[in-house]
Amino acid sequence: MKYAFLIYDDPTSWESLPEDEALKFRAQEMPRWEAAMGELASVDPNFEGYELESRSTAKVVRVRDGERMVTDGPFAETKEVIGGFFVADVPDLDDAIRLGAQIPSAEGGSIEIRPVLG
Amino acid sequence: MKYMALIYADASRWEHFSPEQREAAYGRYRAFGEEATRANVMLGGAELAPTHDATTVRIQDAETLVTDGPYAEVKEALGGYYLLECASLDEALDWAAKIPGAEHGAVEVRALHVDDAGSEAA
Repeated sequence: MKYAFLIYDDPTSWESLPEDEALKFRAQEMPRWEAAMGELASVDPNFEGYELESRSTAKVVRVRDGERMVTDGPFAETKEVIGGFFVADVPDLDDAIRLGAQIPSAEGGSIEIRPVLG
Repeated sequence: MKYMALIYADASRWEHFSPEQREAAYGRYRAFGEEATRANVMLGGAELAPTHDATTVRIQDAETLVTDGPYAEVKEALGGYYLLECASLDEALDWAAKIPGAEHGAVEVRALHVDDAGSEAA
């Protein structure tokens, strides 16, 4: 079963840091991300992972009555927004939960697991 | 440059569709996919199961908390995505506007993060 692991994080916690501290924070977190991705790869060597640019760069497009409207995003008004996601083929939901819990953002943020259709 | 088009729509709308309406809606998505593929813009995409099939995982005080349902109960939830290869944000917005979901929901366009080494996140 293919699952998407949607990563919801509060980026304001580190986006507000000066750039050098933000980079340091990222470097500190990286081994944990690599460990989580190693686990995903051990279950699905072809797993996909996407990290999105910060929410401040998001644009939202709507078309109504043939007219295009573009607004600054993100779409969701929640404190935590999607920062990226993984897609992996895993045997069942229990495995997905085990893998999701290893994604660093499960601490302080949330991992939403959704089956992928088709 | 790679852009993610996140499609937010009201899934209950879909659940009220007749089989013919569903087929018509899928047909429009297929047509978008074919057009974007011909233009060498389409890199991939997926449709997600509705949020009532979602499971959310959090760690609190070193304990794993698992709840049924999505992270946030919202009327318009993420229903799927396309990954697009575009020369600029403007081009990505042009393609996003062609996604059928833009006509009743909304499409959020976000660039993929590029790390310092210049490679996009794998």
